[in-house]
Amino acid sequence: MRAALVAASLWFSAIQLGSMDAPVKPKQHVVYVAEAQTVAAGKRAVLELRFHVEEGFHVNSHTPKSELLIGTDLELGASAGVKVAAMEYPAGKLYVLSADPAEKLDVYTDDFTVKAPVTASAGEHELKGRLTYQACDHAACYPPRTLAVDVLFTAK
Amino acid sequence: MVVGVTLLIWAGVHNARERRLAMQQAMAPRVVLTPADAGKPDEPMTPKLQGKTAPEFTLVGLDGKKVSLKDYKGHPVFVNFWATWCEPCKVEMPWLEEFSEKYKEQGLVVLGISTDDPDVPKSAIERAVKKLGVTYPILLSNDKLNEAYDIEVQPESFYVDRKGTVVIATEGIYDGQGGKDLIEANIRKLLAESAQ
Repeated sequence: MRAALVAASLWFSAIQLGSMDAPVKPKQHVVYVAEAQTVAAGKRAVLELRFHVEEGFHVNSHTPKSELLIGTDLELGASAGVKVAAMEYPAGKLYVLSADPAEKLDVYTDDFTVKAPVTASAGEHELKGRLTYQACDHAACYPPRTLAVDVLFTAK
Repeated sequence: MVVGVTLLIWAGVHNARERRLAMQQAMAPRVVLTPADAGKPDEPMTPKLQGKTAPEFTLVGLDGKKVSLKDYKGHPVFVNFWATWCEPCKVEMPWLEEFSEKYKEQGLVVLGISTDDPDVPKSAIERAVKKLGVTYPILLSNDKLNEAYDIEVQPESFYVDRKGTVVIATEGIYDGQGGKDLIEANIRKLLAESAQ
């Protein structure tokens, strides 16, 4: 059993290392900044999920000013012993394209944190999810992307 | 014995979790520190297609009619890839509308190609186009065409001469004042080269 777990872990690590070396030009403009989190078991608690936007880029906030823009959205899948409530998103920042100062955008830059309210039974938990976002720099936009998010936390 | 095996399993799972968390933490700065050309495009960038024959296409327009690039053989054609979620695209599209009218008599044809996903309702694209005041043809792209034109960012524009060669290709918009003038200068160059 232990050997299988170790082998699985090594396999996972090999995949991760492979993906770290492969792309010269990053396809993702947002990364999930994983942090060890511990919450109280059996009570409503909040997981803080931190994301970092690549320097020079912005992504639309969860509530962009236009219906045509693609907002940032986090979905977390179900997991035994964990109930996840609706995500809480931070407010965006005002962003103006220098080529069109009249157009105001509502965006995230640098770091932003999405709060995930959870109620979890005692133990170690894993929530798999995905962040959907659409990034632009000051002159061009990149197609909508999905970032896999793997949240590991302990309830006790 | 049972306790020992249980402890070993627990240790294995615990170690695996620790390694995964450490790996996630290690990956984050690694990705952030390789920004490639992030934030660089102070001027429009040059896609790979410049100097090559423009890939042929036949696409359906918002009006339901099929349009092919070859329909405009003998005309200088400005092909502009855009998307409803792209704000810089929407900055330049009214300029393109103006140039479409201004240089119509010199044979210029402007074609807009929407790269929105097929699940975006056509009505949403039509609303955006109407709001922007665009009347030149808007065609609906597909993955094959995006690949042929090597579309990675929005907007991307291709200035195609009368012979079908991409004489100028740009990605993004000029950052700041002067972007409109830059596009007009490129159109004039296209018209001049096409007249030869």
